[in-house]
Amino acid sequence: MSEPSIFFEDVNEKQGTFHRRIFLMGGLTALGIFALQGQLALLQLVQGGKYKKLSAANQFNFRILPPPRGQILDRNGNVIAGNRPSFRVLLIRNEIEDLDQTLDQISYVLPQTEANRRRIVRDVSQSQRFVPTVVASDLSWEDFSRVNLYASEIPGVQAVMDEIRVYHYGGAFAHVVGYVSKVSEKDVKAEGENPDSLLLHPSFRIGKQGVEKAFEKQLRGVAGAQKIEVNARGNIVAEDPNGTKPPTPGEDITLTLDAEIQARALEVFEQDSGSAVMLDIHTGEILCMTSAPAFDPNLFVSGISSKAYRLLADYERLPLLDKAIGSTFAPGSTFKMNTALALLAAGVTAEERVHCPGSYRFGNRTFYCHKKSGHGSVDMRHALKYSCDVYFYHMCNRAGVDRIHDTAHKLGLGELFDLEIAGEKKGLVPTTEWKRTYFDGSSRLRPKDPKWHPGETLSVAIGQGYTNVSALQLAVYTARIANGGKAVTPHLIKKIGAVDKNVVFKPIDIPAEHLQVVREGMYMVSNDADGTAYRNSQLNLGDIKLCGKTGTAQVHSYDNAKTRKASIWKFKDHGLFVCYAPADNPKYALAVVLEHGVGGAAFAAPKAREIMKVALLKDPAMQARIVRPVPVEDAAAAAAGPVPDIVDVPNPDPTIPPAD
Amino acid sequence: MAESAMTRRGERERYDVKLLQVDWGFALVLSLIAGIGALVLYSVGGMSWEPWAYNHLLRFGLCFVLMIALSLVDLRWWLQLCYPAYAISLLLLVAVELFGEVKMGAQRWLDIGITDIQPSEFMKLAIVMALARWYHEAGIKDATLSWKLIIPLSMILVPVLLVAHQPDLGTAMLILLTGVTVMVVAGLDWRIIGAAAAAAAVAIPFFVIFVMHDYQRDRVLTFLNPEADPSGAGYHILQSKIAMGSGGFLGKGLGLGSQSQLSFLPEKHTDFILAAVCEELGFVGGFTVFALYAAAIYMALRIATLSHSHFGRLAAAGTTATFALYVLINGAMVMGLAPVVGVPQPLLSFGGSVMMTVMIGFGLVMGVKVHRYQELPRSQSFFAQFE
Repeated sequence: MSEPSIFFEDVNEKQGTFHRRIFLMGGLTALGIFALQGQLALLQLVQGGKYKKLSAANQFNFRILPPPRGQILDRNGNVIAGNRPSFRVLLIRNEIEDLDQTLDQISYVLPQTEANRRRIVRDVSQSQRFVPTVVASDLSWEDFSRVNLYASEIPGVQAVMDEIRVYHYGGAFAHVVGYVSKVSEKDVKAEGENPDSLLLHPSFRIGKQGVEKAFEKQLRGVAGAQKIEVNARGNIVAEDPNGTKPPTPGEDITLTLDAEIQARALEVFEQDSGSAVMLDIHTGEILCMTSAPAFDPNLFVSGISSKAYRLLADYERLPLLDKAIGSTFAPGSTFKMNTALALLAAGVTAEERVHCPGSYRFGNRTFYCHKKSGHGSVDMRHALKYSCDVYFYHMCNRAGVDRIHDTAHKLGLGELFDLEIAGEKKGLVPTTEWKRTYFDGSSRLRPKDPKWHPGETLSVAIGQGYTNVSALQLAVYTARIANGGKAVTPHLIKKIGAVDKNVVFKPIDIPAEHLQVVREGMYMVSNDADGTAYRNSQLNLGDIKLCGKTGTAQVHSYDNAKTRKASIWKFKDHGLFVCYAPADNPKYALAVVLEHGVGGAAFAAPKAREIMKVALLKDPAMQARIVRPVPVEDAAAAAAGPVPDIVDVPNPDPTIPPAD
Repeated sequence: MAESAMTRRGERERYDVKLLQVDWGFALVLSLIAGIGALVLYSVGGMSWEPWAYNHLLRFGLCFVLMIALSLVDLRWWLQLCYPAYAISLLLLVAVELFGEVKMGAQRWLDIGITDIQPSEFMKLAIVMALARWYHEAGIKDATLSWKLIIPLSMILVPVLLVAHQPDLGTAMLILLTGVTVMVVAGLDWRIIGAAAAAAAVAIPFFVIFVMHDYQRDRVLTFLNPEADPSGAGYHILQSKIAMGSGGFLGKGLGLGSQSQLSFLPEKHTDFILAAVCEELGFVGGFTVFALYAAAIYMALRIATLSHSHFGRLAAAGTTATFALYVLINGAMVMGLAPVVGVPQPLLSFGGSVMMTVMIGFGLVMGVKVHRYQELPRSQSFFAQFE
């Protein structure tokens, strides 16, 4: 093939150079492609195994499945602490490119307030890289599904559904049941070497108080795991049903408490400060353990604001303190049954009489009775009935402080009961031994005064001085008197999972006749028209009678006239009332402490009566006594003595039926 | 018969004769690459023609027709278009600089009412044509060692600086390397080449430290040590390598590549499509793609050597250089041999601009084949062509 072309030197040279250079270019390109093929072979054929593993690690992930937390139930199966679903929106910091833009996108689906937006920006900047920030929680189902629909479009935004703790009775169980809250660093450390991975789950809440804390292990359950396939954003693409280990739900815990009594108890306290503890005197089951004022534990679940927390913490009526077990005070006159039993144990008979002129001179000091005009001649039963201080001043040194302590020990005063929830305080019933070691001069705060002065026994005898006890102890004390001397101990847990807790109690070493004497005294307190608590002890439940004892405990020494005159709330006396019912066949013991409530008879007793009535009216055995069906078969008997449905007249028979 | 027909005067101007002269084997290789691209786009689109695979095939089809049509255009027309095309591309780059829209952090796009355009794409082609035109007219002395080399050098550097300022370092580098390649194949003196290479070796570290934007520097530094921060800047490279490596010899199968399907792989449908190919089709697939690219480059370079005109030779070589640079830079990037720069794999990646540039360029290359015997006049002045 011949080409008609004109060849120039220059053109030829240009073409020749080009051909050499193009060959070079082709060679270099071939070399480049060859190198890439080599790298491809290295990656895919030589190192393929390594990258296959990395790819699998990318693709699969284990997600913790939090177990549902065990429920806390009352004795009748009412849910005190349960779980409810909660919808939340989370923001994952390291997946967000532009926070402002992301928040704009979110607010398009989920309107945000300016303040909330500022909070999110602050939280995000402070959060760690992989820890999600909560944008919104407790969304409605509509909001949640809307966010869920669009969340996959916005990088770094996740809509999640989890469970959140809910306390159905609000403040009524706030102290006993406690609450769960966010896991703190301290909680993680407390778990030891291998903390449960569940603790790091954003929805997990740990028990911080009361039963929630004490039974954390049982309530928590065991986390499950789910093998999931995730994409680069961490969004779940597929779930592997074979790789799923379901979570083990936490065990339910049934308390001995009765939600109805508990709720009513908090109600009767209204704004007052104090506590009430009710026991079944035979089983030791705590039916009610209230501390007032209370707080709403639900506030703590999602995180209480520091402002709200300060309000609770700084309030002088101490809503955060469990006053039923964590607060001790002088028992005042409610202690006199104990002194009486100590006297009986020391050989004093119940019939011995003491003349009360209204005061008692001991050494160079005059001790006054609460009734300045005096009670006249009183025996032991009447000393209890009138709460005559002079009788006990006069008699107490025949028993001595150590015997008073021994009796108190047998009755549970100044004792710890291992209630299984934390915060129980021991209190004190003094002994000469205690005085010797406590006032041995080892502390600068206490003058050296190791000897027990008999004058000090006078204060102890009427429940003042060094003596201080808790409301729980007073309830146990009353129960042990009422049950005829069985060493009943209080407990709060009826069942964990499916296991019942049943305990048999030993007798305490106090003769039944002695207990009978103080019970008679307590009957007279509430049922004799001139008893100290007669007016406020009337149950109006037919022949079901209440036996009680009032008490007024000095908070502040009256020697200091200023504080007395000022009548500042926190210097006012505590009002106390302990009681049991029914008088003829006791079942329930109750102690009510009204802090700075001035008088036991006037202010604590009415509350005790209301609480006691709830328990009695619920009890089927009591209902059978109050509400009697009209006999149908035995018409003659019905005609002979018709019994009204509800007996509303006081029992005309004043004799006291035996207690057991 | 064709051979004899070629010898008759005027016969070569007939379009049916020209069509026979079109390099259909070359066209087949390009179609195979685009076909594999569509297959993988179908897979990473969730085994669906939407949103990528269908569009990709449609665009390729249109571009293919355009390419064949352009291959029939007389080389004299191309020659006359060179400087105007370059001037318009340059003006558009200036317009972007002044009125351009900022997208994804860089000012590259110009809204011309109907659609957004990226003038730097056109410049890739325009620079090749303008240089080919200049060298076509220059003597061998001018091309080797002469003060006149300032002209082609300026023609290269002005658009490079404009594009780099957008900033689009990948495209700037591509234009620079394409221009330099044309200069080299046109016969640049080895001493200049050596001196420039030495200067570049010294200047690059300074450039990295003082001129680059932070994200660009991050990419370069990350490239040097990709495992340092797996979820940060080195994430792309690492995920890409995991995708390719885990593919093994035969691959995971279409639609079964966990890296691509679960979007661990970034830009799986554009810049990182090669990683998706290698993950799902394995070494076999990757090797085939590179073999097809090598075949295409070989065929295009062979066409360059066939041309009787210097313009045809340089235009074909320059266009092929752009294509080869795309292939090599993108390949090195997805395999962790080069820093991450925004360079797609031509014909394989989804994206209209690049496909159009490449196919128009190949239209020119095929035109050079069709018109390989055509002698083109050397006009001494810029205005001679209008006489």
